Amino acid sequence: MKIESRLFLWGTPFFVLAGVVYGFMTDWAEPVGYLGMPLVGGLVAMIGAYLALTARRIDARPEDDPNGNIEDAAGDQGVYAPWSWWPLAIASSAAICFLGLAVGWWVLYIGFCVAIIALVGWVFEYSRGIHSH
Amino acid sequence: MAAATTTELIPGLAPGRQTLGRTVIKWITSTDHKTIGYLYLISSFLFFCIGGLMALLIRAELFEPGIQLVQSKEQYNQLFTMHGTVMLLLFATPLFAGFANVIMPLQIGAPDVAFPRLNMFAYWLYLFGGLITVAGFLTPQGAASFGWFAYAPLSTTTYSPGLGGDLWVFGLALAGFGTILGAVNFITTIITMRAPGMTMFRMPIFTWNTLITSLLVLMAFPPLAAALFALGADRRLGAQIFNPENGGAILWQHLFWFFGHPEVYIIALPFFGIVSEILPVFSRKPIFGYNGLVYATIAIAALSVTVWAHHMYVTGAVMLPFFAFMTMLIAVPTGVKFFNWIGTLWRGKLTFETPMLWSIGFLVTFLFGGLTGIILSSPALDFQLSDSYFVVAHFHYVVFGTVVFAMFAGFYFWWPKMTGRMLSERLGKWHFWLLFIGFHTTFLIQHWLGVEGMPRRYADYMPQEGFTWENQVSTIGAFILAASTLPFLWNVYVTWRKAPKVTVDDPWGYGRSLEWATSCPPPRHNFASLPRIRSESPAFDLHHPEVVAMEHPDYARDRGVLENIYGEADRRGQETQAQQRAAGDGGESGQSSTTIVDTPDEGTSK
Repeated sequence: MKIESRLFLWGTPFFVLAGVVYGFMTDWAEPVGYLGMPLVGGLVAMIGAYLALTARRIDARPEDDPNGNIEDAAGDQGVYAPWSWWPLAIASSAAICFLGLAVGWWVLYIGFCVAIIALVGWVFEYSRGIHSH
Repeated sequence: MAAATTTELIPGLAPGRQTLGRTVIKWITSTDHKTIGYLYLISSFLFFCIGGLMALLIRAELFEPGIQLVQSKEQYNQLFTMHGTVMLLLFATPLFAGFANVIMPLQIGAPDVAFPRLNMFAYWLYLFGGLITVAGFLTPQGAASFGWFAYAPLSTTTYSPGLGGDLWVFGLALAGFGTILGAVNFITTIITMRAPGMTMFRMPIFTWNTLITSLLVLMAFPPLAAALFALGADRRLGAQIFNPENGGAILWQHLFWFFGHPEVYIIALPFFGIVSEILPVFSRKPIFGYNGLVYATIAIAALSVTVWAHHMYVTGAVMLPFFAFMTMLIAVPTGVKFFNWIGTLWRGKLTFETPMLWSIGFLVTFLFGGLTGIILSSPALDFQLSDSYFVVAHFHYVVFGTVVFAMFAGFYFWWPKMTGRMLSERLGKWHFWLLFIGFHTTFLIQHWLGVEGMPRRYADYMPQEGFTWENQVSTIGAFILAASTLPFLWNVYVTWRKAPKVTVDDPWGYGRSLEWATSCPPPRHNFASLPRIRSESPAFDLHHPEVVAMEHPDYARDRGVLENIYGEADRRGQETQAQQRAAGDGGESGQSSTTIVDTPDEGTSK
């Protein structure tokens, strides 16, 4: 996990530094630059810190072991949806909502109602029926 | 190489041949990363064709002075706006998602991506967002016509009223969320789902570039979403965010290009990755300077966030030295990449199958675009050339050189892996040369058009300006370029009907990364068995242990700092493994794949 977290964390000083240099050079007159770049630094810092903290919590992983063997990760690979209608349902309702923003509010109301159904279906897909866990 | 030695009957799989209705339902409800990847590739290729047809209309209109083809200049504006929008955001960006989806999990030995349903959700967001965006053509006033970068205040309702613009704003916002979710999925997959032994510095370059590109997506697309929602609020709710009186004109440009420049690298880096996969295979050499290539990619990604305002030199409102310096700095890691690609070819045993041909076409074309980019990074020169055809020529060399050349390279290279059939080499060579000649005829001349002063985005020019013959050359080139798609489509059709099935894991013979260690096409969760991973080329190690045993006698002595920066990938244990395998006691067969016999799932369903 070390390389993964460094990949993100080491971006932070660069972006903050670039933002500060840019701010000085422009006399802090242009906000998108001196705010945007350090905020990008903040973004990568958050992801990197999360990865670093997680790495401290878990055991060494076989994928980070240069001498790892395939059988080291034997066992369950996780639960996979074999297929699902809900991505289509929830994306259609999102599309209706966005179309409504452009076309007219009444479309948005319809999209919102469909979205609630689709969201419930998506979240509870594996809590009911033959696939429930 | 022997054909697959074992067959295995796995109950419960969908049968190979199904009725059309069942196939359609299987595809639209799929959570398989490969199927979703194919959906991305097919949709983005269709958008590529639509964008290409718009380009043909534009070029036909510019064939001679006067307005002949379009009915109004407004229509012409719609054409170039939607051409740019479709090509960048509905073709190139999702094409990255397509290749990453199909190939990346195979390359790291994962059974699928981390979030299969989210993956499909992201695809649908892209498709529906794209359809909403182009639906503007069906409205009475037509599609958006304010240029693909939608500068305020031109893009406000005062200057661009009509539904087309609103559909453009919200359609792109929707598609953008699809891109962001896709990127989250790729990052999580690469961090958490690699096969044991697949350390970070053993990942194939394409996987590395997918990771870095996804990181860039996280940095760039949220500002775009913010900017689009703000523009939408201006257009639909009467907000004043981009009102020029509040400095909104410059604010939009900053926000847009804060997305727009990383976007150029979002559509370039994955295609660098494709080329970096192909060159070693057809040079019969490992990639040269693996670590250097990885660090160059990271450097390009980091720098690309700091150069956005070089699109805004002529506004007079940006810090020229800062952006000129940063922009020229990006040429350094890009040059490192060229160095590595040439180093890979150097003294290799080269063969020129179609994927290799396309990769070399990429090197030539992109090099040219990169060089004109350095010209444009100098403000003194940019002031002369900004918004002229020189810029048009420059960015077509850059994005066409990377996206289209590398896309076809990837198609020809991975076609057997995706479909189980090879594309025809003869038609592929016709395709390549027609496209290569057509492309350079179209765009090389546009450099001179720009230098002589022809501005971009004008629907017309006057006969006495002397642009006529140059435009005619360009238009003829554009039609050759378009015609080159026909051999490709014929190739796809003919090989689909007639070509024999590929029965080996690695039809190219020298494939390196893990996707060549499973069958063509791979089974539902990708691998029947995985080889042990001791380098960045696990499939090559598996298929050619005697070559590996001979090739690198002295790895893992002291690696100095420099070797860690520009040296080769992590190959600890590769030599021992190769000797074991060459002696035949590795316990693994050279042909690792199992032919999966798929039967109808009658009787096994619940």
